[in-house]
Amino acid sequence: MPDFPQRPIAQLLGSNGPVHAVTYSASPSAYVLTGSADRSIRLYNPSSTSAPPTSNSITPPATPAIPKPIPQARLIQSYSAHGYDVLSLSVASSNSTFLSAGGDRAVFVWDVATAQTIRRLGGIPPHSHTGRINTVTFAGVDDSLALSGGIDCTVRIWDLRSQGHKPVMVLDGAKDAVTSIVAGRETGGEIIVGSVDGRVRGYDARMGRCVTDVIGASVTSLCLSRDGKTVLVGGLDSKMRLMDRRDGACLRKYEDEGWRNEELRVQSLLGGRERWVVAGDEMAGEGGEGRVWAWGLLTGKVVAKVSVPWGPAGEGRKRVIGKDGKEKEKKNVVSCIDWKDGGFGDQFCVGGTSGVATVFGE
Amino acid sequence: MSYKRSRANYEADLTAQQSPYVVFGTPLPPVDPDVRDDGSYVPLWKQEVRDERGRKRFHGAFTGGFSAGYFNTVGSKEGWTPSTFVSSRTNRHKDDANAAKMRAEDFMDEEDLADAEESRRIQTATAFAGLGSTQNDASRTANLMGLFRPDGDTMGAKLLKKMGWKEGQGIGPKVRRKARLELREDMADKTSSFLFAPENVPMIKFSRKTDHKGLGYAGHSRLAPIGLSSKSVTAENSDEDEDQDGSGGFGRPKFSLSVGRKKEKEKTRGGIGMGTLNDTGSDDEDPYEIGPRISYNRVIGGDNKKKKKATTTINPALKSKPTFIPRKTGLAKVALGVRKCHDGRLPLEGFIWGKEDDPLISTINCEGKYPPPKIPTDWESSRRSKPETAAEVFVSTADAAKASTLDPKARAALLGEKQLPGKSVFDFMSAASRERLAAVTGRTDLPPARGEVPAGFALSEAERLQELISRVPKLDKESAVAALARDTGSGAPYADNDVKRSRYRAYLEHQAGFRKEFPAKPPHLNNDEWLREFGEFFNCARIFKPMTGFMASRFTTSSGTKTNSGSNGAVNDQDLVSRPPLKPKDPAEEAAKLGMYGPMTRSVAEFYPTRLLCKRLGVKAPAFVQPEEGGASGNPKKSDDSSQFGGFGNAMAARQGHLGLDFGSVASSEATMPTEATSAQGQRDDVLKLAAPPVEVVDSTRNKALESARAADAVFKAIFGDSDDDDED
Repeated sequence: MPDFPQRPIAQLLGSNGPVHAVTYSASPSAYVLTGSADRSIRLYNPSSTSAPPTSNSITPPATPAIPKPIPQARLIQSYSAHGYDVLSLSVASSNSTFLSAGGDRAVFVWDVATAQTIRRLGGIPPHSHTGRINTVTFAGVDDSLALSGGIDCTVRIWDLRSQGHKPVMVLDGAKDAVTSIVAGRETGGEIIVGSVDGRVRGYDARMGRCVTDVIGASVTSLCLSRDGKTVLVGGLDSKMRLMDRRDGACLRKYEDEGWRNEELRVQSLLGGRERWVVAGDEMAGEGGEGRVWAWGLLTGKVVAKVSVPWGPAGEGRKRVIGKDGKEKEKKNVVSCIDWKDGGFGDQFCVGGTSGVATVFGE
Repeated sequence: MSYKRSRANYEADLTAQQSPYVVFGTPLPPVDPDVRDDGSYVPLWKQEVRDERGRKRFHGAFTGGFSAGYFNTVGSKEGWTPSTFVSSRTNRHKDDANAAKMRAEDFMDEEDLADAEESRRIQTATAFAGLGSTQNDASRTANLMGLFRPDGDTMGAKLLKKMGWKEGQGIGPKVRRKARLELREDMADKTSSFLFAPENVPMIKFSRKTDHKGLGYAGHSRLAPIGLSSKSVTAENSDEDEDQDGSGGFGRPKFSLSVGRKKEKEKTRGGIGMGTLNDTGSDDEDPYEIGPRISYNRVIGGDNKKKKKATTTINPALKSKPTFIPRKTGLAKVALGVRKCHDGRLPLEGFIWGKEDDPLISTINCEGKYPPPKIPTDWESSRRSKPETAAEVFVSTADAAKASTLDPKARAALLGEKQLPGKSVFDFMSAASRERLAAVTGRTDLPPARGEVPAGFALSEAERLQELISRVPKLDKESAVAALARDTGSGAPYADNDVKRSRYRAYLEHQAGFRKEFPAKPPHLNNDEWLREFGEFFNCARIFKPMTGFMASRFTTSSGTKTNSGSNGAVNDQDLVSRPPLKPKDPAEEAAKLGMYGPMTRSVAEFYPTRLLCKRLGVKAPAFVQPEEGGASGNPKKSDDSSQFGGFGNAMAARQGHLGLDFGSVASSEATMPTEATSAQGQRDDVLKLAAPPVEVVDSTRNKALESARAADAVFKAIFGDSDDDDED
């Protein structure tokens, strides 16, 4: 059984604010997209790295554990049309388009090559979201649907094939903000929606029924297994649960005393071909470093605890003066994470409040 | 040559200019509309009576009528209402600062106004004529004190008048003498005598001799008063001035042919040669008129050449002939007689030079020559006022008391009072009272409180305890018994504090009469805290006061918490606080909280996807799809627990399943959610009573309602009537 990848192999710099979303491109997973609070989306190639400049070669004292500076990934493209933070990204399986959404209540469909938006779904008030969009994802045959869920408690399903400005359907069963949607090919016509009201709703179009599973704590993250039979549900009670899709039973809980997730949206996923449950952490390590935890999927034991370094000196570590006049200790909360599914080797990418996305590999 | 018109010319001009057609009589003055009161003739119908302010006086149809306000009434157009009437109900008139106030003048007519004006004029009493006035300079220059001569009587005169004295009388007892009746001397009765007031004795006045006049000669007051116009004086009496400012008075009276001779004559009194002949009473007669026109010179050695004053002017309008005074002599005169100020000018008008004493006189009157009488050394005036020092600094009693350094004991010693037993109020005060007093007064130097009890009032320990017990609130027996009954349950008050709970029980037992002796005071509580705790117990136990029969039949309890537990019910102290009833919690939430994920946390609702959604998702659409036209707003109907087609049985089964969960988990979850447990218990009892026979064992891990019952297919077909084959994407 291979070890959990713990070596940072590249840093994705350039963001001028926290990184809210990271995602690998489709099947070869050669590229990484980051959505940032600076309202832009950046496309990196983590495999083609350049040595960091010599000025940055001085290791910051806060990260003495890192023997040598992490190479910087090459920034290929940056996409900027958003007016607000970019909170969610989804790449089409064809790798030609991707979706992004955030504070501006509309889902942007981007052409990767030209860096232009092809469509903007929503934006016309009666049919658009009335608040921030938390999550967006492709769905359907040939990625013909776009699903977006937001703070207005609705999931809107957009047809990407037609040019209509109305959503195909609005799922408004949620009683609170929708935080995550899973509608992969694995689900087979089921849309799984996680919401702050502590429920996971599975809308099964084939069966014409909506299955609501009560989790209790607010659901911030969903990750479906490949066989579509289990789903990993991250909640704000510092627990992650692997739920059985069939009967709603909880197969395993993943938690640790040192790991906390009570306030923020921290993404968790099943990584390494579903060997591990990987999640970021609200708590920061020493020096405000972010941490990534990994549990064994079957054992439920903590496998690894990876420290996510800050960026190069001067990058992402702005001094923040709090209201009491003292410098606030800034934490690098690792809030988003994506696992490289295609390609060789185990690799994952995390992003957080440091504004630097870090790629870890073997 | 000056041109002068003849009378004829004058009249001709007048006639030509003003009234050319008048040939007889005096022409009326020209008609000028601006001149109103020129005496010209105005026809009767045009005449108007106006008062002195130009207001039309008479109103009405007849111009001679009443001088009335409004149509010869006393009212106004609005009737007899004061125009400034303001309702004072909401707007208090007296509070209004700038309200229109009626003055007395508003009700006065012109006459009254004139009277008021007249009475208002302030006039300085002549005795107090101002400094700038030159009216009485002649008398005033003599003594400056004349300025301040008061009007009216002196105090002595007032006293005398009170005693019967009258002005003009002398002072002393009445004198019997004959009446002096000079007029009818012959007719008077010589023998008869009357009591008369004594003769007034003239005051002997000692005045300093400050001039060179002879003794007893007072001079004459003829010297020109300064009040006269200086021009006429200089013009007329230019010759007299010279002898006047000398040792005048010895010369003969001056007579001249001047026009002002008559006036002058009155002033020539007192000169030599004037005798009783002057007192004829007739001013017109001049005793020297018929005689040779001699003029006397009053100055010895004065030259007579200026006596010739036959100066009559042709023009009678001129009072005196203007005489030319050469500048040289004028200046010389000024230089001689009139002192100039140091800048060479005359004194300001109205001011005169002060008089300096004659050196001779001053040597006569110099100090030491005639010293004032010496006051005997032992003389002491009985009028002397008290020394001012005591009255000057007024010290109030309070201040004096403050300044005193004596304390009450010292004062008592000074006063010779018997000492009180050496106790102060603070000695009898409790510490708490002293704290309160110190907090109120803000003083920190209060003596310490001792909390002593006077010997007469001292209580024994038992009595004090009895007194304390008497202050413990009394609970009626029924309440105490009821509360005692509740206390046995699990949610009893003070469950977290066993010691307190035992005290609570002891209190209840005592109040219920089960226990004779009063519970002992715990050592760590003082009396106040102990009492307060009893109050708390009382309030806690009072809740359980049973209702009387009538009231009890009227009300029923809202929850089973209190009724279903006669003896073993649980009351926790949270119930003492009234709070809104908790919303019934979702059993699924509770199950999730307990980690019992599975059928308990899962609920299934219908979902009506649109056909397009199904198509895009690549799935076969279910038999019931949402119509496409409402695609935008397509959403599942409100997700109910009970499936639409599941029917009642399904819902009941689900419900029982939930209950089963609760039933199974009561034992474990009692600690965490007692109310839930008890309510569930109550419900369970009901359910069990209703459906007594099937006491089935409920498996918490299986949900029959969900797992058994998708009894839907047949029902679907029955309802929709068409097979799945008909459905197409």
